[in-house]
Amino acid sequence: MKTLASFVLLASSLQPLTPVAWGQVKNPDTYTYLTISDLDSLDPAYSYDTASHMVILNVYEALLTYKGSSTEILEPMIATKVPSIANGLLSKDGKTYTFPIRKGVKFHDGTPLTPEDVKYSLMRFMLQDRVAGPSSLLLEPILAHPNTRDENGNILDVTFKEADQAIQVKGDNVAIHLKHPFAPFMTVLAQWGPVLNKKWAIANGDWDGTEATWKKYNNPKKESSPFFDRANGTGPFMLERWDKKNKETVLIRNDSYWRKPARLKRVLIKGVDEFATRKLMLQAGDADAIYADWPAYSQLQNIPGIQIIENLWSIEMNPVAYFTFKINQVANPDIGTGKLDGQGIPPDFFSDRDVRKGFAHAFDYEGYIRDVFRGKGIRATGCIPKTLPGYNPKQKNYTFDMKKAEEHFKKAWNGEVWAKGFKFTLSYNSGNVPRQNLCQIIKRSVESLNPKFKIDVRPIQWSTFLDLYKSSKLPVFIIGWQADFPDPHNFAFPMMHSKGDYPSTQKYKNPAVDRLIDQAVRETSMAKRKALYAKVLEVEYEDVPHLTILDASRYRPQRSWVKGWYFNPIFPDSPWGGYYYPLWKE
Amino acid sequence: MNKKSTLTIPETQESSGGREDRRRWWTRDSGFRTILRRVKKNPLSLLGLGLIFFFVLIAVLAPVLAPVPAGSRDSYEIPQSGYSADPVKPSREHWFGTTERQYDMYYGIVWGTRTAFKIGVAVVTTSLLIGILLGSLAGYYGGWVDEVLMRFTDIILAFPRVVLAVVIVAVLGRSLINVMIAIAMVDWPSYARLLRGDILSIKEREFVLAARALGANDGRILFRHVIPNAIYPLLVLGSLDIGNIVIYAAALSFLGLGAPEGYADWGQLISLSRNWILGSSGSPFEYWHTVMIPGGTIFLFVLGWNLLGDAFRDILDPRQK
Amino acid sequence: MLAFILRRFALLPFVGLGVTILLFGLLQFLTPEMRASLYVKDPRQLSAMEEVIRRYHLRDPFPVQYGVWLKQLLKGDLGYSETAKMPVEKAVKAFFPATLELAVFSFLPILFLGVWLGTQAAVKKDKWLDHLSRFLAITGYSLPSFVLGLLLLMIFYGQLKLLPPGRFSLETDLLIHTDKFQQYTGLLLVDSLLNRNLSVFWDILKHLILPAFTLCYINVALLVRITRSSMLEEINKDYVRTARAKGLEESVVINKHARKNALIPVITLSSLLFVGILGGVVITETVFNYPGIGRWGVTAASQLDVPGVMGFALLYACLFVLGNLGADLLYAYVDPRIRLK
Repeated sequence: MKTLASFVLLASSLQPLTPVAWGQVKNPDTYTYLTISDLDSLDPAYSYDTASHMVILNVYEALLTYKGSSTEILEPMIATKVPSIANGLLSKDGKTYTFPIRKGVKFHDGTPLTPEDVKYSLMRFMLQDRVAGPSSLLLEPILAHPNTRDENGNILDVTFKEADQAIQVKGDNVAIHLKHPFAPFMTVLAQWGPVLNKKWAIANGDWDGTEATWKKYNNPKKESSPFFDRANGTGPFMLERWDKKNKETVLIRNDSYWRKPARLKRVLIKGVDEFATRKLMLQAGDADAIYADWPAYSQLQNIPGIQIIENLWSIEMNPVAYFTFKINQVANPDIGTGKLDGQGIPPDFFSDRDVRKGFAHAFDYEGYIRDVFRGKGIRATGCIPKTLPGYNPKQKNYTFDMKKAEEHFKKAWNGEVWAKGFKFTLSYNSGNVPRQNLCQIIKRSVESLNPKFKIDVRPIQWSTFLDLYKSSKLPVFIIGWQADFPDPHNFAFPMMHSKGDYPSTQKYKNPAVDRLIDQAVRETSMAKRKALYAKVLEVEYEDVPHLTILDASRYRPQRSWVKGWYFNPIFPDSPWGGYYYPLWKE
Repeated sequence: MNKKSTLTIPETQESSGGREDRRRWWTRDSGFRTILRRVKKNPLSLLGLGLIFFFVLIAVLAPVLAPVPAGSRDSYEIPQSGYSADPVKPSREHWFGTTERQYDMYYGIVWGTRTAFKIGVAVVTTSLLIGILLGSLAGYYGGWVDEVLMRFTDIILAFPRVVLAVVIVAVLGRSLINVMIAIAMVDWPSYARLLRGDILSIKEREFVLAARALGANDGRILFRHVIPNAIYPLLVLGSLDIGNIVIYAAALSFLGLGAPEGYADWGQLISLSRNWILGSSGSPFEYWHTVMIPGGTIFLFVLGWNLLGDAFRDILDPRQK
Repeated sequence: MLAFILRRFALLPFVGLGVTILLFGLLQFLTPEMRASLYVKDPRQLSAMEEVIRRYHLRDPFPVQYGVWLKQLLKGDLGYSETAKMPVEKAVKAFFPATLELAVFSFLPILFLGVWLGTQAAVKKDKWLDHLSRFLAITGYSLPSFVLGLLLLMIFYGQLKLLPPGRFSLETDLLIHTDKFQQYTGLLLVDSLLNRNLSVFWDILKHLILPAFTLCYINVALLVRITRSSMLEEINKDYVRTARAKGLEESVVINKHARKNALIPVITLSSLLFVGILGGVVITETVFNYPGIGRWGVTAASQLDVPGVMGFALLYACLFVLGNLGADLLYAYVDPRIRLK
């Protein structure tokens, strides 16, 4: 009974948490951000997720960075100049880039950064090439093949030599030679392959940079890398600890930073899955910024001390509905009988353009944006988001028009679709609300056209989704795309090129559009590229291989005592996470 | 040490059940009339009975109470009046308000009553059937059959139940029927053990020995004499578990498994309220209905079964005679 | 006695093997593509799925995969848990103390409150106190834990700003990870006392109250019921009647005599209840954002993290065997009539 008594005693003498008074900043040196995502690995060559990347952005530094809020204009970082044909650091053929390396930059352990470190880091980024990792982002522009292994998983011998020749240290400079011109190369470099400390890497058991050993470090186990949960970069913050148990990462100020040290002493990034908990912590001042999606928006309004920053346009296309032109019909209940008899659809059902156009017109885009995104988005004009060059606000896109939808459905398959009707299953990965609503709206409005049109909507787990996706069994699949680097190529290729991620699963191929995309990525003049992407968008409108819905914006809930924050959509986890160097609290 | 096989981990609520106590102390000889008399005497069990009766009524009258909208292909599909995220307060149009994404709460609650009974009855029936089959085989034949079957139940019992259910749903796919299968799969061992222990004692009784002496075969003895004698309390106890099963299914719903969104299911309605518990600035109870209505409904339903169950366990407890 | 204990321990490998084979077999119904979902999280990775399948040998036949796992296990390697981002042994070491702390802290009130309420209910059988205490206990048992948990958070954190979620506050978090604080056991209540740091102790306690209360309220009904019915049996026994007849004071009869014997089944059951709570805190941990082992188990299961699920199941199997053993030993200890053979 003693314990019970003491329990009651303790409970009665509880003190309230320190209340936040006006003008008083809680934990002024420490910035706390609550997120829902988990880190995967802090190894810059391994991680391919925004949560890890956000930490990497603050701990490591790349050759270049984006200037302020811009995604187009670059600034020097570890390099002292941004190469251009004008300053002679970019060769006229657009293939050789020379980066003068900054002197006096020190890693967190005190060793000075050398051009050799730069070369090592870029080589390691490419040659490590873990499966489903980011290495292809540099392999593709530099070596012109996306993989270090063949289809059977055997390592390609020549890769090391090619890479070794492509990246060369010349005195205080590092020169990178590309196989073909690749217009977005520098925007890729600003985002991927930051500079690591070669000596530290070798001392901690990582690759020594030689040809003899590189294969041993190709496609490694995640946890075997010394960079997995430790870090030694040059960035404004040092990794104090990544506490996997409590899902939190603590960064501490780098006092010997080559620029002015950061104003925040400490940054705490913590995983909190429940929105209610995140909101309460923000309200209590225990958090300075939190992740929040659109459904949560109304609950964050008008709270004293909390500021909502809006109209932060993201670089993504999400959600997009892709039609599968040739559906795999082996053991596939999603297409019913597999025939156009009202109880199913034939495997090539969506290869008829009028079917696709019918669907495109039968969707209430404005209503969707209003209800699901609280009206904080605009109708997309094609696969290139509004935040990128190549976006064409004047490009026509399909409007909600049930009359036109009916016309197209009547024309489709020589009128058979209208006469016999169809039935198929529309799946979305469970838990993703925008995708769920997309399916529900398609179902409701297409079914209202003709009582013979039947669509079943079904949530499936991500695992099931992957399984069906990979075997092209989903008649229509809904998924999004986020930018790897801020360039139209990063959207046109995966969404329109027949070798891109989605068209290859859809079995969509239009040689004309393939040529346009290939041409645009090698062209160095931005004006000419824009003209080419405008043509891609025209083909996209005519072909309708997928339904793009909207350009979405996001919002950022933060304590109003957070100062110095600016938005750049390319920062990982932007606008909630991002870059902490410019921030302070007062 | 014969006690060994009677001990199992008592399930906490999240892992469903809690029938440890009753295994030890029930007996067969409680006539129907005595039960009725004692139920009448106990106000709490009367309350429980009343609650259950109330819910039965709602389930039966569902098509009258909440008519299915024209053009709907599935009466369990909750009508949705838009896609906006913010729940709407109760009004004349929506008696219980709407959940997030505008599902009509009243319709969901009414038809969800049927779902609750469906889940409860189907799961209890399935796990009883499995339990009876394996329990009676083990108890009657004894020897290696008993050994194999009981070790198998040990293994199932040694599973963390929620996790096993999650794995089963992950394997079978997310749907209501798969949630029911998953719960039944982890729920039968206690019935099997209960029946086995009981059969062991009946087996040695005179009437069974007599039947055997008269040359009756195994199956006949098992089905005509042993099971009927052992099964009655099992059925009573099993049916009283319906409340817990419904909570269990709701918990899985909360973890993101269970019926697809829009299906009339209480657990689903609660998980839709998850993000709205705090209300907005200045009015902390702005969205009270999203939690309190489905939460209250599920609570009353389960309370009904538990109150009745508590009384029944008293009745079946020989030490309280 | 020793032979008995050893025999029960021999059950361990058997149960462990059974649990893991069953689980592993179950997971083999998934296609390799589905199991690849653990590694393919982002649309950008979709094109590399075949390589992922090859990399993690997801297409190997079931016996081969299980054999590999078992061989590693015998070497003491439980594999790497993708969801915990650490090896399974480390994950268990990291998560288990938090859950243990929560379980102990909620179990003690359950025990005392359950016994107290159960005794009162038995003594005042069929009076209002009996009905009230049972009714209260049953209401707790009928509440979904996530509803109760969310409501408590709303009141005590949202409105009163008293009891926060999580395991510790920012200040504690920063302090306990420095050299000034030694983590001896991972049980932070114990560690804070060993470090003579009361403010940490206080902070940990504050974070434990709500989840512990939730668990307590929901689970206390079981003990109330058992204590009550066991008490009723004792009260009606001859020796109690005799004691009463001899004119002993009622409270002495109840507390000294009847309760002592009535507690035998309660004590026995408690070790099992404790293990049950250890495995059943999943949702409470989720609601309160408490970094315990149950939350890890469910995450691992729902994301198909095979080594994680297997490790978790194995741990629970051990606890199960230990719990049963504990119950038997306690039973033999409190009831001299039982002899362990």
